[in-house]
Amino acid sequence: MRGILAVVLVLALVGGACNGAAPEVVAPPMGEAGTLRVVMGLAEAEWRVVREVVIAPFEQETGARVVPVQMEAADLVRQLDAQVQAGAVSIDLITQDNNQLAPLVAKGLVEDLTPFRDLIPAETPASLLPGLEFDGRLYFLPYRPNVQITYALQDHFAAHGLEPPRTWDELLAVGRTFATREKFGRVVIQGVPGAPLGVVVSEFLWQGGGDPLNLTDAGSVRAFEFMQELEPYLAPVYQTAKFDTINTYLASETAYLGQNWPFGADVIVRQYRKRNVAAYSGWAGPAGEYHVLGGEVIGIPRGAPRRELALKFAEFLMSRPVQEALLQRLAWPPMREDAFGAVAEWQQPFFAAVQGALRQARARPNVVYWGEVERVLSDAFRDVVVNKQPAVPTLARYQAQIEQARAAR
Amino acid sequence: VRAAVSPGTVGFYALAVLFAGMALLPLLLLLKVSLSGPEDVLVQHPAFGVYHPTLEHWQAVLKPEVIGPPLRKSLVVATGTAVLAVLIATPAAYVIARLPRGWRYGVVLALLFTRMFPEVIIATPIAVTFLRAGLIDTDIGLILAHLIRNLPFVAWILVGTFEVIPRDLEEASWVDGNGRLGTLWSVVLPLAAPGIAVAAIFAWLDSWNDLLYAIYLLLAERTLPLMTYYFANRGSVFDVATFSVVLTVPVLVLTLLLQRYIRAGTLGGAVKG
Repeated sequence: MRGILAVVLVLALVGGACNGAAPEVVAPPMGEAGTLRVVMGLAEAEWRVVREVVIAPFEQETGARVVPVQMEAADLVRQLDAQVQAGAVSIDLITQDNNQLAPLVAKGLVEDLTPFRDLIPAETPASLLPGLEFDGRLYFLPYRPNVQITYALQDHFAAHGLEPPRTWDELLAVGRTFATREKFGRVVIQGVPGAPLGVVVSEFLWQGGGDPLNLTDAGSVRAFEFMQELEPYLAPVYQTAKFDTINTYLASETAYLGQNWPFGADVIVRQYRKRNVAAYSGWAGPAGEYHVLGGEVIGIPRGAPRRELALKFAEFLMSRPVQEALLQRLAWPPMREDAFGAVAEWQQPFFAAVQGALRQARARPNVVYWGEVERVLSDAFRDVVVNKQPAVPTLARYQAQIEQARAAR
Repeated sequence: VRAAVSPGTVGFYALAVLFAGMALLPLLLLLKVSLSGPEDVLVQHPAFGVYHPTLEHWQAVLKPEVIGPPLRKSLVVATGTAVLAVLIATPAAYVIARLPRGWRYGVVLALLFTRMFPEVIIATPIAVTFLRAGLIDTDIGLILAHLIRNLPFVAWILVGTFEVIPRDLEEASWVDGNGRLGTLWSVVLPLAAPGIAVAAIFAWLDSWNDLLYAIYLLLAERTLPLMTYYFANRGSVFDVATFSVVLTVPVLVLTLLLQRYIRAGTLGGAVKG
């Protein structure tokens, strides 16, 4: 018993010591204009910049106090769902991955911002607007558009006398060459079911002339058959590749070619010190080159305690100085056309790739059953691409599931 | 002439080393990554050794403002959960253990029944209730949430512990003039100490490793698993490895300190009806 008591005492003392050494983590004092709780999902380096170029100037300008909260997109949906159900919403503003918007709207977790449409700057590219609406209602404001670019380890390509692929045919040839010569696939796609695979399959479908909501379309069938042909030449790790792991696969040279969001450049080149990485927008299919428009948008939770202040913060986030600062400091593509500016020299090739890909970017269909569509796309990928089931009857079966999801809403 | 070391002993130690190696290998790999530069890890065939050692990952993690708040939170919550779970479950388990066999069996089944629901399903309603009670970002909120799943388990372990303590000892203590409470304190609890230690370790470890309730109930603060999760999502493999080692070390220390209480047979009674 004495041993147990001693352990408890030691733990309590260590806990107390940590408390003493730690900086203040209790709720900060209220600003003159109130306290705004803002949720974002960022890396530590990104938080430092956001605190410096967004939060501090806003606090100075308005006298408000901003409490930043780190949360991943999927966790935000769960957290907000619980808060709204409890009638105890404590979050005033969110910036959310635009691949995760449907659950927020379907569950009624965000305010309808249609009356505030005028807040969107006139300089916002028209291509960003459809992604903000569901059923004709505006639920989100633009903030940070994004698009996946293609990373290629140029020394390995040079060693095999290859060029990074620009078309489906070249992609297949590159994949086959690496797999044949090295006995190991070196092309990786983000094959984790759900959102990662949803982006990959959507891009292939558009490139093939198909439609993620219509899998029996000739273009969709063509895209699945192409992926089926490509799959044996992919790096085996592709089934665990998503936005974070794919950086490690490229940095460890497990794969030589892969697509990821632009932050990957910061991780692979700056953090992991890889110098052999080239970037470009990607490859085209028979119907052209297309990319899923990603990034983050601004939302106001239903029942947010300080909605007016939150709207003011949203306006601030969309302002030209903030967008320019985020571009210069984090290489985040701006949501307004008048905010393009200089980026660091090492980032320039990557940012050029981003600009190229953004020109070919498309918002995914903003339907509240998109989560179910992503599941269907992942299941269809498993059956047709991985398990090599015939594309036409298999896709017909999955199209029926999409129709069911549409009818249920 | 008898051999100094029998083949059985050699086999035993060989197996012990093998299993210890299997258990320690993941931790050693984490430690290696946390002490390595990218040149040792981010290559096609990473070496097992550390050829480009660096402390930069540890220096980044061990900054007081990085490690302090989550370490404090995790220690306070895990210790609070373990202490409360034992304090509440010990008397309850003693009473259950002394119930008639049929009743006892029913109560133990009822305790286990509460563990049958998938936590992902019940987490939202629990979080809603806690949010209504204003228990967000509080130590006590997280401790209470962890008690929900730990109390039945701790009570179940302790019922088994008390069951195997002979009643004759208690009766002898009564004959010597000890009352019920005196007997419980001076006779039963010392004998039950190994079981209580095991139950406390389980409760502490479960709370220490929890991520689900921390995601729901913490906004401005973080626990160590939340920090590890954050770096897994947003950081490098070096950050994740370093934080994982930090997360694991207290578990090893605690287990080593209390291992003498974990003896064969401690849980044996727990499966008796």
